[in-house]
Amino acid sequence: MTLHVDGAVIGRRLPRKEDARLLTGRGTFVDDVVFPGMLHVAFVRSPIARGRIRSLDISTARDLPGVLAVLTATEIDRFNAKLLTFFFTPPAEFPFPLLARDRVAHVGEPIAMVVAQDRYIAEDAASLVTVEYEEETPVVTIAEAMRAPPIHTGADSNVGAVIGVEQDEDLEAAMASAPYLLTRTVRHQRIAQSPMETRGVVASKQGDELLVHISCQSPHLVARYLSHALDQPHLSIRVIAKDVGGGFGFKNHPWREEMSVIVGCMLLGRPLKWIEDRWENLVAACQAREQEMTVRIGLDRDGKLLASHSDYSLNSGAFPQVPDANVAVHMFMWAAYKMPQCGFYSRAWYSNTAGLGAYRGPWGMESLARETLLDVAARELGIDPVEIRRRNLITKADQPCTTPLGIPLEDITPAECLEKLLEKFDVTAFRAEQAAARQEGRYLGLGIAAYIEPTGAAGSMAPMTGEFVQLRIEPTGTVTALMSTHSQGHGTQSTMAQVIADQLGVAYEDVQVFEGDSSRGGFGPGAAGSRQGVIGGGACRRAAALLKEKVVRVAAHIFNVSAESIAIDNGIVHIAGAEKQARSLRQIAEIAYGEPSRLPPGMESGLEAQYRYDPPPVTYTSAAHACVVEVDVDTGFVKIRRWLSCEDCGTIINPAVVEGQIAGGLAQAIGAVLLEETGYDDRGNPLAVTYKDYLLPSIADVPDFEYLHACTPSQSEGGFRGVGEGGAIIGPPTLVNAIADALAPFGEVPLDLPLTPPKLLAVIEGRPLAKPAEKPATQPMPEPIASPAEEVTPHREAGVLVDGSWKMVLATPMGPQPMTGHFETQGGVLKGTLASDQGSQDFEGTVTGNLLKWEMKVTKPMPLTLKYELLIDGDTLFGKAKLGIFGTAKVTGQRASTTTG
Amino acid sequence: MKPAPFDYYAPKSVEEACALLAEAGGGATVLAGGQTLLPLLALRMSQPFVVIDINRIESLKFVSRADGGTRIGPVVRQSEIISNDILKQALPVLVTAAQHVGHHQTRNRGTIGGSIALGEPAAELPATAVALGASIEVRSVRSVKKIRAEEMYLGPYATALSSDELITSIDFPEWPVNTMPLFREIARRPGDFALAGLVGAVVIESGRIARAGIAWFGMGPTPIKARQAEAALVGQSIGSLDAQRLAELAIADADPFDDRHATAEYRRTVARRIFVRTLSEALKQRQAA
Amino acid sequence: MSEHKIELSINGRRQRATVEGRMLLSDFLRVDAGYTGVHVGCEHGVCGACTVIVDGLAVRSCLMLAVQADRCKVTTVEGLAADENSLHPIQQAMRDEHALQCGFCTPGVVMTLAALTGGAEKPDAETLLASMSGHVCRCTGYQGIRRAILKLAGESEAKQP
Repeated sequence: MTLHVDGAVIGRRLPRKEDARLLTGRGTFVDDVVFPGMLHVAFVRSPIARGRIRSLDISTARDLPGVLAVLTATEIDRFNAKLLTFFFTPPAEFPFPLLARDRVAHVGEPIAMVVAQDRYIAEDAASLVTVEYEEETPVVTIAEAMRAPPIHTGADSNVGAVIGVEQDEDLEAAMASAPYLLTRTVRHQRIAQSPMETRGVVASKQGDELLVHISCQSPHLVARYLSHALDQPHLSIRVIAKDVGGGFGFKNHPWREEMSVIVGCMLLGRPLKWIEDRWENLVAACQAREQEMTVRIGLDRDGKLLASHSDYSLNSGAFPQVPDANVAVHMFMWAAYKMPQCGFYSRAWYSNTAGLGAYRGPWGMESLARETLLDVAARELGIDPVEIRRRNLITKADQPCTTPLGIPLEDITPAECLEKLLEKFDVTAFRAEQAAARQEGRYLGLGIAAYIEPTGAAGSMAPMTGEFVQLRIEPTGTVTALMSTHSQGHGTQSTMAQVIADQLGVAYEDVQVFEGDSSRGGFGPGAAGSRQGVIGGGACRRAAALLKEKVVRVAAHIFNVSAESIAIDNGIVHIAGAEKQARSLRQIAEIAYGEPSRLPPGMESGLEAQYRYDPPPVTYTSAAHACVVEVDVDTGFVKIRRWLSCEDCGTIINPAVVEGQIAGGLAQAIGAVLLEETGYDDRGNPLAVTYKDYLLPSIADVPDFEYLHACTPSQSEGGFRGVGEGGAIIGPPTLVNAIADALAPFGEVPLDLPLTPPKLLAVIEGRPLAKPAEKPATQPMPEPIASPAEEVTPHREAGVLVDGSWKMVLATPMGPQPMTGHFETQGGVLKGTLASDQGSQDFEGTVTGNLLKWEMKVTKPMPLTLKYELLIDGDTLFGKAKLGIFGTAKVTGQRASTTTG
Repeated sequence: MKPAPFDYYAPKSVEEACALLAEAGGGATVLAGGQTLLPLLALRMSQPFVVIDINRIESLKFVSRADGGTRIGPVVRQSEIISNDILKQALPVLVTAAQHVGHHQTRNRGTIGGSIALGEPAAELPATAVALGASIEVRSVRSVKKIRAEEMYLGPYATALSSDELITSIDFPEWPVNTMPLFREIARRPGDFALAGLVGAVVIESGRIARAGIAWFGMGPTPIKARQAEAALVGQSIGSLDAQRLAELAIADADPFDDRHATAEYRRTVARRIFVRTLSEALKQRQAA
Repeated sequence: MSEHKIELSINGRRQRATVEGRMLLSDFLRVDAGYTGVHVGCEHGVCGACTVIVDGLAVRSCLMLAVQADRCKVTTVEGLAADENSLHPIQQAMRDEHALQCGFCTPGVVMTLAALTGGAEKPDAETLLASMSGHVCRCTGYQGIRRAILKLAGESEAKQP
């Protein structure tokens, strides 16, 4: 089973190193991990969506033979562990519980944790826990959340986050004067990410070492998360995740159950295992999407874009992992298009449903809305869908440029991808085929869509660091890499080996990549934002270059020639032009480790290098897709007949891996458009709790994909661009557009996923659809300012005590950001410093009575001018910070100390 | 998702199985192929005290031709129906229906008896039994009796079987070799339960329809016999069939419902069309042959 | 709650055990027998990851009780290849065609194809493809699985228009 490869290794369709163990059942997934004395966990979960827990009786369960313990919030909370977001910030202004305390807020919420000798007994005991509830009317939909009082005590409203501006005068004027204004509401249903392996954790504590095996997307991230969340400085935390059965954003970080098991392990002092079953996964785990967006676009009669506004809401459930208003949706809404001005309003709503988590292309709603509306506009204006894109897409010639939302673009290629796609797909021929088919009563449709996506982002948010590799050439001749990357199917053990082999001039089979253990390599956030190929690949190249330089210096010293005359080919180090003057890498390594006296004076022994690569802040990937469908007008069933992808992911490491990523994303797109939907009834009961009801795409639903690669090298080391999410982002609008094109003779297809056969048949029959509820008039929401602000007014009286330190919280779109403010006043002049874990910055402003005002420029996550306006009332302060186009964020604070003298 | 505790028995004979059923007094479940029962057990939606596994009863595994028909033992697997030469000959529409049950892997375990006893309204085999006029032989310590398939189903998963009864044979009447089969199923994905399905058999003698058995699945709380359409078909000349009118009659007996996967209106519309399509195609095929 | 003595062959080795009546075959194979290549993806018979070969036929091990496998011949994915250093032709074809990513559904896919191609009769591509409706793969969009099947069925390389 050895993998012998001759010649160049980069850009080749090499077999993956992971596959032999996975194909023979010898991978190590979390449920394969066993410890002596290990116990098994089952959770008691809420059967109702909302209510108060009147009583909880665990006595019968605890007495069942084989049961070791039944833990509730009373025990678990003693540990004071916190739930945090992916950014290591608190998820909300109020803490999220591990196990429910006195209230439940969605069906499936964990209430108690049974620990028993096996899972069978644990489930027996869980069914013996009796809970009495005082049931309340749940808030299930976005529309209900808008009207209803807050579901969470301690919250002002059901708005979990808000950014943007509902109506901007200039923008409204631009749209009012547009010759053609298109308004549509696009709905994306709730999705279950559904990796084939569910969540799972095995926690064990050995002395001061907490060893956590967990199904996750980065053991490094989980280790850091645990160290923040547990806040136990004496603990040494090690996290291992060898093989993981898919992540897709679902396994970004631990959540309520995993944290409860880890705390339970520390309380009981026994190794504990919890493997989520599929019912739990579909009922209680974080889900994704459930967004609706009303988009208004102003165009001229030639289809040129003039202005746009998007009003976006998402149902983030009760305890979302991602409690933000998804600013990326708006950032990338028009990033690939020449859109003179645009604005947005974005709100996340709490409801009594399972919390939202991430899912491949979490901001993909932008492409769905933009590309489907462009097709509607094209149809209404009588312009070809290709042409409307040609007239508006940013081309190479338009760059460098900056989008209205401040994104600098240098090398995006959506327009070029579209042209390349059209060289392969003959639209004219298709239109003729389509017309002929319609004569026979067969309805074919063509969908086209284009986009860009941000990949390989680093440097703007706490966990989004560079990637790291520690590389060594062993005296066995093997090259070992310890990485910060992690694969849940991505094949990074293979692609990183290809990059290293290529750069070092060694055989692919001689490179061994290790990942999956937080105690090895270095921090990386794992598969998040299509980053590992870009940044991990860059790190491998840089580290390999360092190592190669050392090999060359050692060899030059041994051969007594200049470094320039040394070459490395296929693991052999030789003098260029004198092939007999050669040593194998292994021989060089033997000397480097074992005979330091033969090394150049002062050189460190060994052949080791490490590198943390910090790429440009964002690397963009572009693509255009085309899809052909046939809709059976008797049944409303959709058959996908052809699908072409033309993506530009820069320099390709392994085409089979790249195409695998695109295909996987497209299959998920097909699921989202045609099949998948979790759904709740009006009592908040989930409707798809097994795979009989949650419909994943089967082999018959997914066609053979055709791929074209544009390969424009990026500015990142190696020229790589990320490709993990694209299919899931651009797939949905491509398919929706194809279906809409097929059914255009009957009417407009609702932009309301999933497009089930009954929905499409209603279009075909010209029947009014079971109409999605009209967007209700929005109840005026409280201004995003703490309620006391309304009672306190600015005054001009002198003598307000300003000077000193303040503990402050800025409610940013990324979640609450704790800060320490230090103020000094001199007359009407305010000088100060704001410090947070993002750094510290000085500012200067004014103080008038109890009103403080200042402006400060920040560069992270993007260049912005923040305008603060705060009011002081005794020892508290409150107010707002205007975040430019991102709207207004609430600021609250408490006096920490006063400055005297 | 682990089953609650139960006592497991694997009797070797029908008598032993019936005795166990009687003894359990309603607390027992019969395990045949298990392809639906096991998920129900694992989800704890079914928590019997006793599970009686009939897979070791060799006398329940048979396919035989008898006077005036074909008898099939309840523990005959769906995959065995598909490959059985007697059935290919005698009941080709049953073979077609079996090919649509679940997936290859579940058909390797799933049995005809299990499917008939479960009474899933959107399943293929109960509807086929109803369409073809099968009767179900049932035994208990009290009696041996036959239940006509069309009287077997009372509601979703509710059947005329008593808790102490065991199916011992599914008996299909004779359908002539040249019977025209009708089968069509609309499902979201291959192997899913039907949104709407039609199964039937039509006997044509000298250009006229002599006999018809037709049933819907996924079109009501039980498999539904399209009695009005059957009656209207018999005696008609195949040259002058009004498929649209027959479809209306067939739909008139159905009682479709709204669920997560389709509305009643969708089912009715599509069912009407598949009736017309299936009947017309079958006739065309017959004429071509 | 009843307990039962069973004796079966797993991957060619005879094994005796005592199991509770309710123990699922998938759990028995994974936990008691140690064949962790049997993956449990849904535990209700839809996803296909736990598929094993029982007496020559591909079946869901989560839809059988362990006690039902008494006197049966069971093969798991660990039992297919001739030895540690080789791959079964199905495994080889799937590797060559990049038919897996995370590898969680893979053992089930391999077992269905191995069962279908293991007999004297060689099924055509259509039969093999149809059998795949019983497996859910969330990573690959089935592209490599389809290519591997076409290769195994002796048809030309995956059709690339």
